[in-house]
Amino acid sequence: MNTSPAEIEQTVVAFLTRVKKYPADFHAGMSLAADGVGLDSLETAELSATLEDAHGIDPYSTGIMPQTLTEIQAFYDTVPTEV
Amino acid sequence: MSASSTGSGEPAVEATSEYDPASHYDRVTAAWQLLLGDELHYGVFDSGDELLEVATGALTARMVQAAGFAELAAARSPARVRVLDVGCGSGAPACELRTTEGVEVVGITTSGVGVDAARARATALGIDGVSFEQRDGMDNGFADAEFDVVWALESSHLMRDREALINECARVLRPGGRLVLCDLVKWRDIPFAEVRGRIADFATLREAFGDAHFESLDYYAGTATAAGLTVERTDDLTAATLPTFDRWRANAATHRDEVVGLIGIGGHEAFVRSCDILEAFWRDGTFGYGLISAVRPS
Repeated sequence: MNTSPAEIEQTVVAFLTRVKKYPADFHAGMSLAADGVGLDSLETAELSATLEDAHGIDPYSTGIMPQTLTEIQAFYDTVPTEV
Repeated sequence: MSASSTGSGEPAVEATSEYDPASHYDRVTAAWQLLLGDELHYGVFDSGDELLEVATGALTARMVQAAGFAELAAARSPARVRVLDVGCGSGAPACELRTTEGVEVVGITTSGVGVDAARARATALGIDGVSFEQRDGMDNGFADAEFDVVWALESSHLMRDREALINECARVLRPGGRLVLCDLVKWRDIPFAEVRGRIADFATLREAFGDAHFESLDYYAGTATAAGLTVERTDDLTAATLPTFDRWRANAATHRDEVVGLIGIGGHEAFVRSCDILEAFWRDGTFGYGLISAVRPS
């Protein structure tokens, strides 16, 4: 599965768009939590499941709690491309 | 949800998500009157055998007692007692308060459908002294110290910023006035891994009940205290409200065709599953129901 930064961004942006929490000024360093995009715990869990479905693994399920798209992309930089 | 002033004194309310309170209530109000009963809230059961309308009336009576209407009425004419009903639903409690207590009631909700339904209810009942406006409880736009009682019946869990809600409630209370609030509460924090493992359950609850967030009774008491109020009582009503789910399931079976016509088969099924999920959370000590009253010091 492709875990390039562009692919991860595409997955995250598609998710944020689906849950209607994609701010016009969204950027990779914006917090995904209440002080930024505004994902609550359920939406974060749904993002976690979406990333796992799309890319085979997700950071949240490994105990890492990334706060931004940049941190999510950094997680995938550390795992093998094929999982 | 966001709100901005229109200059008319009635804040404009803009819905941004299908799960935000206004959009959610617009979608489900008619169906919920069939499913939850006309008062649109939980019931407090004594024996557990009562009809739902008896139990919902018992909850209202408990809030009336906590609000201290008798004390206020003794101090001055009930008609001069002003009540703000935050999250007034379809207006049933507001109309009942006007009728039974004789107080003036202003009901607010972010739902335009709710306002229309509440106004229609008051008109149909021929009640004056009760009015309904589309306003946001977290930024209600009223002047300081306008009300003797602020009444929040199962509305706080749908407001994202409960601290802002309680601060606003405290701000509009006159000295000696009371906030009385009842709502679903949480009794423990749910770890992320548990949310992740039960995504389907939580998504079902959101589908049925909107974008809800629960706090503990201690949170409500602490926030009210921080807002300058003196907490008078906190009641754990978890066990007393448990039979509500049986009644709601029975209503879902009785009114199935009408409800499906209003919110679709998916909405009906989500509601029934939600009753099962919530009942399990009630029983395992995760969620429950509470009431708090707090007075603004004279």
